[in-house]
Amino acid sequence: MVAFEVPEIDYTRYTNRQLAAVPLVILAVALLIVGGWYVATGAPVDPGVDFTGGAELRVAVDAPDGQARERIQQTFDPAPESIRSVPSDDTYILTFQTDETGVSALETQARDAGFEVQSSYTVSASFGSRTQGLALGGVAFAFLGMSVLVFLMFRTFVPSIAVVVSAFSDIVVPVALMNLLGIELTLGTVAALLMLIGYSVDSDILLNNHILRRSGGFYESTHRAMRTGVTMTLTSLSAMIVMTLVATMFGIQLLAAIGTVLVFGLATDLINTYMLNLSLLRWYKYEGVAN
Amino acid sequence: MGTIRDNWRVILLALVLCASLFALFSPTVGGNDTDTPGLASAGVTNLQYGLQLSGGTRIRAPLVGVTAEGVEFDGTEPPQIERDVAAGLDNATVADVIVREESQTGGTVEVTTDGVTPAQLGTALDAAGYSYEATRGGVTEATRSQTVDVLSNKINEAGLSGGTVQQITTPTGENFVLVEVPDENRQEVVDLVNERGSVRVDAYYATDDGAYEQTTVLERDDFQSIGTAEQGGEGQQPRVPVVVREDVAPTFQEEMIRSGVAQPGGSQCRYSMSPNNTDPCLLLVVDGEVVNSFGMSPGLARGMQSGDWAQDPRFVLQTQNFSGAQDVAINLRAGALPAALDIGPDGAGTSSYIAPGQGQRFRTDSLITGVIAVFAVAGVVFLRYGEVEVAVPMIVTALSEVVILLGFAAGIGYPLDLSVIAGFIAVIGTGVDDLIIIADEVMAQGDVNSRRVFQSRFRKAFWVIGAAAATTIIAMSPLAVLSLGDLQGFAIFTILGVIVGVLLTRPAYGDILRALLTR
Repeated sequence: MVAFEVPEIDYTRYTNRQLAAVPLVILAVALLIVGGWYVATGAPVDPGVDFTGGAELRVAVDAPDGQARERIQQTFDPAPESIRSVPSDDTYILTFQTDETGVSALETQARDAGFEVQSSYTVSASFGSRTQGLALGGVAFAFLGMSVLVFLMFRTFVPSIAVVVSAFSDIVVPVALMNLLGIELTLGTVAALLMLIGYSVDSDILLNNHILRRSGGFYESTHRAMRTGVTMTLTSLSAMIVMTLVATMFGIQLLAAIGTVLVFGLATDLINTYMLNLSLLRWYKYEGVAN
Repeated sequence: MGTIRDNWRVILLALVLCASLFALFSPTVGGNDTDTPGLASAGVTNLQYGLQLSGGTRIRAPLVGVTAEGVEFDGTEPPQIERDVAAGLDNATVADVIVREESQTGGTVEVTTDGVTPAQLGTALDAAGYSYEATRGGVTEATRSQTVDVLSNKINEAGLSGGTVQQITTPTGENFVLVEVPDENRQEVVDLVNERGSVRVDAYYATDDGAYEQTTVLERDDFQSIGTAEQGGEGQQPRVPVVVREDVAPTFQEEMIRSGVAQPGGSQCRYSMSPNNTDPCLLLVVDGEVVNSFGMSPGLARGMQSGDWAQDPRFVLQTQNFSGAQDVAINLRAGALPAALDIGPDGAGTSSYIAPGQGQRFRTDSLITGVIAVFAVAGVVFLRYGEVEVAVPMIVTALSEVVILLGFAAGIGYPLDLSVIAGFIAVIGTGVDDLIIIADEVMAQGDVNSRRVFQSRFRKAFWVIGAAAATTIIAMSPLAVLSLGDLQGFAIFTILGVIVGVLLTRPAYGDILRALLTR
């Protein structure tokens, strides 16, 4: 069997500034996108049905793809906000971001048109906004809790803040990507963002631990931490890519949403851990502490 | 002896795995499947599936209503207070006002109808001269549990097997009623839940001056027993046979004679055609609406006139159609909902429906998704280590975490949903991550030739694993306690998986690795 090795990067060729610049520029662009979105739409990311209220219907339509979409458009009043087709079983997922027409009425419209209703889901607007508040509070609490824990574990400012900043970036960059790709915030994506806090901190803690608490030179420790950390992230990344693809094919939206956001986040985490966190640690190790 | 002491972690893992397999497959665990409400148990395992994976309808909504607390009754009887408060509110009737005594002198007043604000209730109380401490949205605990009981009854009476109704309180202090019914069409459940279901019988008759009057003669509590709905025979309407309570029967009989419904020769009701020119009628009123009107047969009228009827007070409630008769029977037996669920376009709830076929499909599809994700992990691990001794135990250990969690779910009867499956996948992810840390740490810098070297390296690896586990638990804890819909299961099982991993499986993997490397 061929074993792959995590390549050893010669970090001595780059200054701390050069290393930190890439992830910081990415973070700045992401913040700009999220901020711009907030200014333009009033929300940092487009909330989905879970948070705005509305209805979601999954219907089986017995027609070829092009015609099916047309028939769906004609059938419903109001017309659905979005129509997504599920490749594996010829069904369509329709979202209606309004709860003025009850989901019962929509179901009746679907049945009258000869569609088979596979599932329906409805959230009222007031319930949705309540959920949104809870979800945002949950993410904020999780992030604060993580930060406090990291500071307690390392008890020094620079290494701790390095972990917190890269975890922050691991969340903001996927949110910006969600905006760009038109992925809405759902309960699934909130779960994924929370999971990112847990996942992304793993490799940062590993790196900090190797560099700060182990004997051996900086570059040697870095390389050892990278061998383990990159393997970890690549394993999770491959599992999530596969899960996203399969879940999208089957139309299991919850799993697909979690998978997509985690793929973005884990990829961002590779950059953040081994460029941003690493440069901060190197600065701390060589210049931050008086030798 | 030495081997047992050295490998106790592996032995413990094996024991827990056996227990989990027992919980999963033994017919003695969770054997009373049919009695477990709201869930579908399936196939060879004891696993139970939630609505997403088995199909069904779920409605989650708060109850409609406002409450005034600490109301001073000043010796007035509750029925009088209900009338006083209803009089002061535009869109509430006496039936919408519930007065509950909490102490000798006072209690709560609730109005359970849409469109009354706490402020309006306050104004009505002030106008009627009752002092109160505070008004708020929402209803009292007593009303909630009563509603839950009535709803459960209704669902059982309607023959929706396996349905459950429960009350949930969020950590933020909000209360919801959760209705789950497997395999049923959403609309049927919504209809059933939406009806308040108060049934009464009114007498409708002309008074001496020719004007028609309507008085309530029978209410739900006046019935001793309620039969099942029957199809009407030739020329007869569908009906629900009932028996009137003995102590109420004489009064009812008297009332029938006085109003003329039981006049000699019976009465012919023409209420639906010409309400201003008809014999006296009986009206069947459901939720304030007249659903049917009927007169009395000459035979029954004769029995009432002679007073014999009260000795054997049987009676029939007639309806327009058979489903109406069924509804009346259900509502009479289950009782009326003290407060309605706030669902519908401008409500504050959510509802979802999954077709049973869709649920089944989700079950296999999510299983396939999970298995493929495991293969992806296995592939990367094999590519990275290239050593079967390291990689195979890694995959087996990670999978054993999932088996333990599945056994746990089967043991406590936690219903599996998509979010729980997502949790399993997350557990495999974090699990393998940690195993990679252990493997790399242990195998770093040359061969592991002594136990002491192994132990110290293993301990170092464990610091990182413990720290990572702590952050994951912190990150997931809001989801586990906040009731954010479907995601609670995800968070609970991710946290459980991390705990099982850190305490049980990951240390055991260390032992396995040591056995394989320090030979």
